[in-house]
Amino acid sequence: MRVRSPRDFWAGLIFVAIGGGFVLLAQEYRLGDMHRMGPALFPTLVGALLAALGALIALRAFAVDGPPVPRFEARPILVSLLAIVLFAIALQWVGLVAAVAVVVLIGANATRDARLLDVLALAAVMVVFSVAVFVWLLGLPLPLWPTS
Amino acid sequence: METLSNLAFGLGVALSWQNILYCFIGCFLGTLVGVLPGIGPVATVAMLLPFTFGLGPAPALIMLAGIYYGAQYGGSTTAILVNIPGESSSVVTTLDGHQMARRGRAGPALGIAAIGSFVAGCIATLLIAYFAPPLAEIALKFSPAEYFSLMVFGLIAAVVLARGSLVKAIAMVCFGILLGLIGTDVNSGVIRFAFGQAELADGVGFVALAMAFFGITDVVLNLEHKEAQQVFTSRIGSVLPTLADLRKCFWSIVRGTALGSLLGVLPGGGALLASFAAYMAEKKIAKPPRAFGEGDIRGVAAPESANNAGAQTSFIPMLTLGIPSNPTMALMIGALMIQGIAPGPQVMTERPELFWGLIASMWVGNLMLLVLNLPLVGVWIKLLAVPYRLLFPAIFVFCCIGAYAVDNKVFDVYALAALSALGYVLLKLDCEPAPMVLGFILGPMMEENLRRAMMISFGDPTVLITRPISAGFLLAALALLIAIALPALRAKREEAMQE
Repeated sequence: MRVRSPRDFWAGLIFVAIGGGFVLLAQEYRLGDMHRMGPALFPTLVGALLAALGALIALRAFAVDGPPVPRFEARPILVSLLAIVLFAIALQWVGLVAAVAVVVLIGANATRDARLLDVLALAAVMVVFSVAVFVWLLGLPLPLWPTS
Repeated sequence: METLSNLAFGLGVALSWQNILYCFIGCFLGTLVGVLPGIGPVATVAMLLPFTFGLGPAPALIMLAGIYYGAQYGGSTTAILVNIPGESSSVVTTLDGHQMARRGRAGPALGIAAIGSFVAGCIATLLIAYFAPPLAEIALKFSPAEYFSLMVFGLIAAVVLARGSLVKAIAMVCFGILLGLIGTDVNSGVIRFAFGQAELADGVGFVALAMAFFGITDVVLNLEHKEAQQVFTSRIGSVLPTLADLRKCFWSIVRGTALGSLLGVLPGGGALLASFAAYMAEKKIAKPPRAFGEGDIRGVAAPESANNAGAQTSFIPMLTLGIPSNPTMALMIGALMIQGIAPGPQVMTERPELFWGLIASMWVGNLMLLVLNLPLVGVWIKLLAVPYRLLFPAIFVFCCIGAYAVDNKVFDVYALAALSALGYVLLKLDCEPAPMVLGFILGPMMEENLRRAMMISFGDPTVLITRPISAGFLLAALALLIAIALPALRAKREEAMQE
């Protein structure tokens, strides 16, 4: 037995895991019956369906040829995620101005083409724009500076 | 005549100076972002959603609709000038549009796209005004069982028309439904699947989900595949098509509009299918056919009319049934919910100013696009020169602020990061995000309707197949599944998706 379509194989396994996970988690709640469906019933049904479909997809991967899993490039995704998480942390503790600066300064490095001066200028522009549009113009309640 | 008086009432709403302003801002921003290559209408609407948070429901929806067709139009500009479709529905526009640009006829190509879109938009607006109310009347009579079956049908139809593997797409729908169920169960008050996180009591943020799957992951994938772009900005010339062009295109526009309006109503249809089908039909019908693919202006006029018509008529199921036919409409429903309005047929009777105002504003918006785009083409072209490395950090900023601003929760920004990671892995494994987003929106509604249907029938699931309309929907869904599973049709579908 050889996996002939790795993409489908992994996708199927992920679906089995997610579907099965939801079914297991749902058992904490009341199942009820069809007349009075409890909170666990619908997720159990859908989760089981998802797991079954996942199994089908994964098994089919042994029978049908498919493309390999494409290469994961570490830099773009990891730097992007890091930038977003840092935005969240910065927004909570030091306010919007710093958060926008951080997400641009870090996020811009998701590509190797980033140039320092451009990025600095872009960060400045985005900070001014965000504050002017979102806070002043639209009045969204975003903390501008460190609170307390 | 009632329709006309309703439209007049709607125009009264749409033409208040405030709503005109929001419509204008929406069209402008939509085009602005839509022109940028690699940002489709879904990402555009998701990213610009926070701009509407401070507004009331009617202005917010009017602005979002403006953003949507602005983005649609902006995408065609990019398709013609850069040969990179800004969105999937402009793919076919690149075929002839870009060839026209190469031959120094970029101006007329842009012009006919705008004119075709405008004509199609006007007709589609009228169609919505005439067909939406009766449909809503019917939908109001639906019992929960019918609703549940309709949603099943809608999801299956959307999946059948989507790209890629059918089983995977259905699996993504299920995954979306499950994600949508996270949070407080309205019926029992139990908080489900929250892992003890109090912030998850309200569920996974829809805006964060849409931004993660259509904004952030798109950026990351774009960064992975760097492609050389060639922008034709040197010779645009006059954007006005010649009289001969117009005469040549007249029937193309009419045919495109008809086909687009029809396909737009179908679940999963919308602009993408409309533009593709219109191009194919035009290639077969138009005489003489020789020049297609080499810069035939009809190859721009037909799909552009069709995608605008389809974009507009896709509002019909959203407005009348509360069921999204594509991810953009899912976002519109999300926006309605954020505004505290339950989507569904009752919107028309309970919020007529919203319903008719939105429809009338579509016409106003189309006029604005025409007025805005033809003179401003030069500005949009300059935007194309902005390098992507300066663009994508700005997308990050919008997505982060947008995710936070829905509920002012930092938690949603973390959710954005987590969902982006998830979306990235799923996209790498060739799982399309669109079915998932539809499932996410419809999941809780499906559960609620199934629950009510079972309550009424005393737990008898056969109610779904003994009520004729409900059975009809389920049969139609089944027929679609069987049809697509048949090898002959499957080959045809794959062939169609490849072009």
